[in-house]
Amino acid sequence: MSAPAERTGVIHDIGYRRYAGARMSSAGIAGSLLASGVLAVFGFGRSGKAKILPFVLLGMTMVPAVVMVGIMSFIGLDAGLLNYASYNAGSSFLVVLFVAAQAPVLFSRDLRSGVISLYLARPLGASAFALIRWASLVLAILAFVLTPLLVLFIGGLSAGASFTEELPRVAWALAGAVVLALLVATVAALVSSWTLRRGLAIAGTIMVLLVGLGVTVALKETLFFEGMDTAAHWVSLLSPFALVDAVTAVLGGTDAQITSAPESVATGWLLVSTALALMAVGLLLLIRRYRSKGA
Amino acid sequence: MTVIQTRGLTKRYGSGAPPALADLTVDVADGVTGLVGANGAGKSTLIKLLLGLLAPTSGSGSVLGHDITAGGEAIRRAVGYMPEHDCLPPDMRCIDFVVHMGRVSGLPAAAARERAADVLRHVGLAEERYRLMGGYSTGMKQRAKLAQALVHDPQLVLLDEPTNGLDPAARDDMLALVQRIGHDFGIPVLVTSHLLGELERVSDHVIVLDAGRLLRSEETQAFLADTGVVLVEVIGAADAQQRMGEALAARGLVSRPRGSLIEIDPVTLPDDADGEAATRAHDQLRDVVRDTAADLGVGLVRVQAQTGRLEDVFREEVPA
Repeated sequence: MSAPAERTGVIHDIGYRRYAGARMSSAGIAGSLLASGVLAVFGFGRSGKAKILPFVLLGMTMVPAVVMVGIMSFIGLDAGLLNYASYNAGSSFLVVLFVAAQAPVLFSRDLRSGVISLYLARPLGASAFALIRWASLVLAILAFVLTPLLVLFIGGLSAGASFTEELPRVAWALAGAVVLALLVATVAALVSSWTLRRGLAIAGTIMVLLVGLGVTVALKETLFFEGMDTAAHWVSLLSPFALVDAVTAVLGGTDAQITSAPESVATGWLLVSTALALMAVGLLLLIRRYRSKGA
Repeated sequence: MTVIQTRGLTKRYGSGAPPALADLTVDVADGVTGLVGANGAGKSTLIKLLLGLLAPTSGSGSVLGHDITAGGEAIRRAVGYMPEHDCLPPDMRCIDFVVHMGRVSGLPAAAARERAADVLRHVGLAEERYRLMGGYSTGMKQRAKLAQALVHDPQLVLLDEPTNGLDPAARDDMLALVQRIGHDFGIPVLVTSHLLGELERVSDHVIVLDAGRLLRSEETQAFLADTGVVLVEVIGAADAQQRMGEALAARGLVSRPRGSLIEIDPVTLPDDADGEAATRAHDQLRDVVRDTAADLGVGLVRVQAQTGRLEDVFREEVPA
């Protein structure tokens, strides 16, 4: 009889093991949900082909920045070419496509596939969940709109632009990008949490953001033509792109790309605060939507 | 140990509507507890109240010692929930999804990965865990749903219709798994079903709901106890069953044919009869059956005690 010690490679069925280790606080859970949300927008943690669209769009939005930096380095044009603030207005079509295609990943998918009932049965409540999802989209949009700006800035510096001259200009553009991300994320979140089908959500978001921009420009031009300038400035609230463009122009002294900017700084600040107030209302609606799903 | 306790729990959707759950007072202990009721009996409403997702209209309750109105978050940290309907994102791999749900439940990253692999092995999704869940069969989806309910090592699991849509073999597997969770894993289970036969097999305790009201809450054994009715089968000439019935009636027993069997009602005992008298009556009834068959010259094939079935609860207490 062989001794039991000679036997190797025994498989033990260790059965069910309890978990006695540390557990995260609510803040920790929120952090991990936020991170996984941002990654999901770029297709991580999802199927392979989910990564194609966000990265193709990100690549496309970088092209003008890379080209400009290239022109500066090789032909030696001056730094006046670097117009940060107008970059997002110029690439608004790509931003809209990115947001429209990726917001349903965070909003429609949970509500449509029923995963929401699993999330709501976890420690975080409906309100926290809705806000974290929204914050994930804001961060993802920021990553999308800030990357080309940073390429432009850093590339411009290495091509000989002056840091002290460029810094205030890029800072205003960055602030504008943050406001843009907040507003666009709210619009896209609302649209895609109400239209549960992905296709509808995409079409709806494009419709609201792009057609909204077109309507805003047309309305503003008409009102300027009619001489109703105050009304024209308030119409900017209909489109996040027009708003950010107008506001950074009046407050930061950048070149307005879409239509002419208001002249009074007070109007600029008033426009920003009104837009942020509207955003808060949008978030309340979003929370209500998630609460009603949980009950 | 009591894991769930409700006192007069009532939920109305809208003030004029009939209550979805009315004045429910019930205790749930360790092991597997079955929650039975027709569609719309209030099972899912009860689960949502227990998770703190709905506020009760009146009454109170506690889960694992946490109050259901004030301690929702603490409850949801400690409880695993498997909903009835589809709840899996089709474009995620099962392993990623279960890890993610573990993290959302409060597990650190490394622990979530380790436990997800462990739990998927227990539910029998070891090989398929790297596939996207959109391509899963119903059986695999149910297993994945169960895995996400177990990943954070809950102290109680609420399973809403885990056998829904499964074929008989998969149903047996799922029920065996439910029983393992309750007994081998040591996690108390509250499992709902509208199929009584299933719960008869796996649960230690059964709660029966009907139209939002508690019909019965008892040990499963109590439902399945000897009813005192005796079933007899005889063979012989063509009219053997009828002659046997008549002969039994002549000896003062109440009987009726049921298919090829004869159903004999138990002898009513006086109110002050003790256990010993009951046993004596039980034996005497069988003696009488044996003697009658011998006298008639018919073959006695079967003398069987009829045990109760969960369905009888509805027969007895719900007037048609």
